[in-house]
Amino acid sequence: MIKAILMFNNHGKPRLSKFYEHYTKDTEQQIIRETFHLVSKRDENVCNFLEGGMLIGGSDYKLIYRHYATLYFVFCVDSSESELGILDLIQVFVETLDKCFENVCELDLIFHVDKVHNILAEMVMGGMVLETNMNEIITQVDAQNKMEKSEAGIAGAPARAVSAVKNMKLPEMPRNINIGDINIKVPNLPSFK
Amino acid sequence: MSYVGEKTLTALPSLLSLDSQPGPAKLSSTSKLGNLIRGITELTSKHEEEKLIQRELESIKEQVSSPNTSMMKELMVRAIYCESLGYEASFVYIHAIKLAQQGTALEKRVGYLAVSLFLNESHELLLLLVNTVLKDLQSTNLIEVCMALTVVSQIFPKEMIPAILPLVEEKLNHPKEIIRRKAVLALYKFYLIAPNQVQHIHNKFRKALCDKDPGVMTASLHIYLQMIQENPEGYKDLTGSFVNILKQVVGGKLPIDFNYHSVPAPWLQIHLLRILSFLGKNDLRTSELIYEVLDESLRRAEMNRNITYAILYECVKCIYTIHPKSNLLEKAAKCIGNFVLSPDINLKYLGMISRKHLTLYVINTSE
Repeated sequence: MIKAILMFNNHGKPRLSKFYEHYTKDTEQQIIRETFHLVSKRDENVCNFLEGGMLIGGSDYKLIYRHYATLYFVFCVDSSESELGILDLIQVFVETLDKCFENVCELDLIFHVDKVHNILAEMVMGGMVLETNMNEIITQVDAQNKMEKSEAGIAGAPARAVSAVKNMKLPEMPRNINIGDINIKVPNLPSFK
Repeated sequence: MSYVGEKTLTALPSLLSLDSQPGPAKLSSTSKLGNLIRGITELTSKHEEEKLIQRELESIKEQVSSPNTSMMKELMVRAIYCESLGYEASFVYIHAIKLAQQGTALEKRVGYLAVSLFLNESHELLLLLVNTVLKDLQSTNLIEVCMALTVVSQIFPKEMIPAILPLVEEKLNHPKEIIRRKAVLALYKFYLIAPNQVQHIHNKFRKALCDKDPGVMTASLHIYLQMIQENPEGYKDLTGSFVNILKQVVGGKLPIDFNYHSVPAPWLQIHLLRILSFLGKNDLRTSELIYEVLDESLRRAEMNRNITYAILYECVKCIYTIHPKSNLLEKAAKCIGNFVLSPDINLKYLGMISRKHLTLYVINTSE
């Protein structure tokens, strides 16, 4: 089970924090600070797995992190998750963000934090991994976006009416209308000077 | 990824200049959230940041009490930002719940998100949300059902589980695969927080395991892993099914969508291997059912990718946990050797951990 997913930049500023267990506000901030401390001290050529700090539950929990340019992605997991599997999951998450935001950068994640949360919610639900396929995640997120756009356009119409219009069966339009050979006499127009 | 740094740097000037064109992905610099964030980044001391956030919270408080609801979504996002930095914005909680109740799809999504970030299971305001969740679960709109299920698995008061259980159970038979999957995980969450309330639906979990859609089956494995860990004896009869599923996955019988870098459903394989290792522990008869598929998985996972190493590691752990078989043990030992000698530091770490299993095994068998 995943206990928490944290994202912070090289200075320790939290960009995304999702806890799948309840902690008080102060404890959450402390966890973020402690995790940043542990992770920022790591050299580039050591492994990506760390024992969790005291706050997060002690020895059964591991911190699995990846460092991309200015951001650290940290997943705090217990022993039921595979370490290398989670590493690849972080990669899937980042690739999904890249696809949804088109060459994502830190600013995208700051300004659209609700969108990032929605993408994460399609991947991890209640601490369990829900979906690992990037295309499936994007399909779900797109479906939600489409629904919001259509609701905004026909504001107030019940969803049933909207879907009824979409499913309406229109008569088949004839595709090839053969008029036959019509000799249209084109008059000789004077040329413009 | 140096282009990320470059992109950030090139985006900053257009963001900070007042006559910038608002692009599709960037907020205009005149938006309130943009101003707030720009303000925070310019400050250098924690004290100043506190002052700025307090001012921001005061202004949000004023605007939130006004009857105009169109700004509510934007206010909510700003409040989420303030809370994520650690500042209390409890006056906004009730409005988040209202937003989830009354808003359009987009507002509902932000409302639900805000609720799941602000509140926790024991918060008294959460009871107000229960009705909204019940209504959304019965909605014909699939997205609303999905949102409700997501919130249910994130935060839900324990006492209200009986009220919502039948609705979630009926979603297990929903024609749409994603809803069945989310329902399975929501029920699993219920099992974790209130196990005695969920006893009667174990056969529904079995149905989910045999679901025609592999996604639903994968979700049910979370539950089975937990239940088998607690009580392996009760599920030995399912060993055959799990072995069959793993055989089919490894043999490439799943649709091609489930391939990750040409490895068939790696996370699913890892889950199954863990389940099988619990089932086969200290039990020769069950272990005998597992040997063949374990051998096959070892053989197939020979590619040099991170994720196949994950599968190999799980195979090795499984081999050492279940009843021993000599040729499998040899292969596992070779695997550990490769890990330890590998230049990849993560593999070296896993190799070291596996050697602990190897040592324990040697100690146990020499007694």
